[in-house]
Amino acid sequence: MDEVIQILEEIQPDNDYETCDTLIDDELLDSFAILSIISELEDAFDIRISPAEIIPENFNSAAAIYEMVQRLQG
Amino acid sequence: MSFVSIEFMVFTAVCAAGYYMIPKKYQWVWLLVFSYVYYLAAGPSYLFFILFATTVTYLGGLWVEAGARWAVPAVLLADFGMLAFIKYTNFILGNINGLFGTNIREMKLLLPLGISFYTFQATGYLLDVHWKRCKAERNPFRFALFLAFFPQIMQGPIGRYSRLADQLYAEREFDMARIERGLYRIVWGFFKKIVIADNAVLYVDAIFDNYNTMPGYGIMGILLYGAQLYADFSGGIDIVIGIAEMLGITLDENFTQPFFATSITDFWHRWHITLGTWMKDYLFYPVTLSRWMGKFGKWCRTKFGKNIGRALPICLANIIVFLVVGIWHGPAWHNIFYGLYNGVIIGISGLLAKNYRDWKKKFGIEKDSRPFYCFQVIRTFILVNISWYLDRAGSTHQALIMLRDSITKFRIGVDMIDASSTWAGSAYAPLIAALFGCLVVLIHSILRERKIDTRSLLMKKPIVIRCLVLFLLLMSLVVIGNKPLSQGGFIYANF
Repeated sequence: MDEVIQILEEIQPDNDYETCDTLIDDELLDSFAILSIISELEDAFDIRISPAEIIPENFNSAAAIYEMVQRLQG
Repeated sequence: MSFVSIEFMVFTAVCAAGYYMIPKKYQWVWLLVFSYVYYLAAGPSYLFFILFATTVTYLGGLWVEAGARWAVPAVLLADFGMLAFIKYTNFILGNINGLFGTNIREMKLLLPLGISFYTFQATGYLLDVHWKRCKAERNPFRFALFLAFFPQIMQGPIGRYSRLADQLYAEREFDMARIERGLYRIVWGFFKKIVIADNAVLYVDAIFDNYNTMPGYGIMGILLYGAQLYADFSGGIDIVIGIAEMLGITLDENFTQPFFATSITDFWHRWHITLGTWMKDYLFYPVTLSRWMGKFGKWCRTKFGKNIGRALPICLANIIVFLVVGIWHGPAWHNIFYGLYNGVIIGISGLLAKNYRDWKKKFGIEKDSRPFYCFQVIRTFILVNISWYLDRAGSTHQALIMLRDSITKFRIGVDMIDASSTWAGSAYAPLIAALFGCLVVLIHSILRERKIDTRSLLMKKPIVIRCLVLFLLLMSLVVIGNKPLSQGGFIYANF
């Protein structure tokens, strides 16, 4: 989880990733940031994220992103 | 059957009245019948194309859900192949003739009503089924309604199956408040279209058609074109959304005060939103996350370092997406350059995003400071207007000449139009009417930007006030609208 938050802070500072659960709903992450995050997640966790995974439920919070990463690590 | 016609108003009124009178379980069938009658009224020859897209995508959805992987590329190829053949064959033939000196005859191809919009809607549905975001529709007639729903088929908004389908098939009671709310939105759309767009177009057409003989009016022309384009397209969408509201259906919004955008990226989040989100979900993400782009990203990271290496593939994908947006705007090179212009600006902005943050910190610019916000809005407005030279001009050459003359031979005036040919017998009257309309829309946009729901506010007022507002809007169509009422086609109906 810490690694996910670190990636988020590096790509898009200024958000409180510990508590925020409306990153997509409140447009705090744009598509450019989402793709940058995906690129970092793929490298850091050795996973592949497909376009089908890009839904608000998977990116609305650091916890949701971490959950998706764990699921894709299988 | 144009939206701005008595026939369409009667057609819509009969549809809405009947919708609430028949047994509820047949309401969606009623909408399907009216949608196909509307489509048939545009020309029976167009029917083949929508039936083809409906059949192929309906079957494709079932095949994809059953696990047939080949069905995704096959159906995408069929849907987009039909669109590309009709829209771009003559453009390609013309370029081949120009390049190789051949004389291949161009084909007589008519662009079927709304083909772009239902093709996007159909392919979006197929990919959603493929990505398990929705279940495939079992009933072919229900699926046919999803693609052909008559208010939105002409110029969108491009609907998503997950948000639209259940609404189309739901059973509804009559609700006067809903009808009233929809009616305001429809009349507001007509106000934008008839008072702003149809008046502004007189000057825009004259300026762009006579750019050689009467140069220098470019800035006036492009500002009025912006007003015309926004009023025409968003006005049309207001009418569509209003009709749907009357039937209890909430469509996706297509515009959210685009002239308050703070960057070109933000502009495309506010302008033709449903096209932008379609492109993002079904083209931008898949292209960026494709294997070959992944390899390109890795190569970039080894060559240019982490930050630029990560951003470059996203920039390239942005340029590809806007190239497609440009091609979609029309089979001509100036449209392709229009798309590239937007794509390159957004791509470079993405590449420099970290630098912008550093510069802002260095110069002590607060993210929410008022002067910086105003600077961003004005800068974006200028950049958007420059892009519209490419969008409106008949060729890239014309756009560049007009851009140059806008500065070197700048002038304003109304001598480009014949006063006797206007509805008021004055060359100034349509301009003043359009500017008045723009002022009203600007005030409304400021309220909307401050999250004030103007219609909800109005509906809380006494009936006399509500009738007065409606009366004033309707009177403005008659008094300062460009007549005759039935003349206006919509720009985006030709896509």
